[in-house]
Amino acid sequence: MGVMSWFKYKSPFGLAFAFQRITGIILLFYLILHLCYLTSLQSRELYETLTSITVSRQFIIFDSLLILCGVFHGVNGIRIIIHELGIGHELRRVVLAVSAIIAILGWIIGSYILLMALGD
Amino acid sequence: MKFVIRRFKDDKSFWQSFEVPVKKGMTLLDGLFYIRENIDPSLAFRASCRMGICGSCAVKVNGRPRLACETQLSKFKKEIKIEPLDNFRVIRDLVTEFEGFFAKHKKVKPYLIANTDYENPIEQLQTPEELKKYYIFTLCIKCGSCLSVCPSSATLESSLGPAALVSAYRFNADSRDRGKEERLKIVSESFGVWRCHSAMECSEVCPKQIEPAKAIQLLRRETLR
Repeated sequence: MGVMSWFKYKSPFGLAFAFQRITGIILLFYLILHLCYLTSLQSRELYETLTSITVSRQFIIFDSLLILCGVFHGVNGIRIIIHELGIGHELRRVVLAVSAIIAILGWIIGSYILLMALGD
Repeated sequence: MKFVIRRFKDDKSFWQSFEVPVKKGMTLLDGLFYIRENIDPSLAFRASCRMGICGSCAVKVNGRPRLACETQLSKFKKEIKIEPLDNFRVIRDLVTEFEGFFAKHKKVKPYLIANTDYENPIEQLQTPEELKKYYIFTLCIKCGSCLSVCPSSATLESSLGPAALVSAYRFNADSRDRGKEERLKIVSESFGVWRCHSAMECSEVCPKQIEPAKAIQLLRRETLR
């Protein structure tokens, strides 16, 4: 069945597993793109021109989704580490619910800060 | 109730529907027997004890592995979809190949390795506290539900899978056992405990609620000591 088995989840844990992998791939892809983008900026004028395009309201939806990926990947990773230490297996549903709430709160707060930083 | 069964014949698969009259207390296995005895005698499925002990009748019901003998039909509404377990080769209809599953199980030496003097055998004592450390993991009935939902086993066939690792932990945690080092060597390989990605689907679908994911993490801890 291969990689498609990631998406044949039977419970919220399987869904979290699939999202962990998807967000991991997105973050890796973004990191490569980000590094390529930064290294391609050879002059101040070019830097300012391109950042005026990417740091804008049109792009905020992508930045917000990136925050969601980062926060989810991080929080879910901590949840997995906790269980991989052999802790809280019986309470796994509660741990998953708490980590989902933290991830959503982190996403909302992060997006709000981003929006405020962008100003008018 | 409408039974929609995924059938396999000569490398071809197709869905077939059957109407089964449901009575109070009837299980999914009773429904399957009804079909075989009254509608289609060619329907193949595996069953033995009919009481959740042998683990033979595990099938995928509405996308989730369940023991047919312990699944009450009253749980479902009008239709029920039945398929063979994932991650296993289908022999016919709902019957899957378990040879590989048991070979993996055998690999971890799922038996007590003790320095027994068979000439002068003595009773091997154990305190209730020592028994409690592994008792829950002795309840595994080898139904294969855990392996069928394990994404790690789906992506690498040689992966030992949850059931075999539960057995390894069960015997390693037994105070009478002397084979800990042998088993740790086996489960430390790349196809063993490190193959688990903590998707925890195994613990979610286990019909005996034995928490295979926990056993794997505890076994991991042992390998690092």
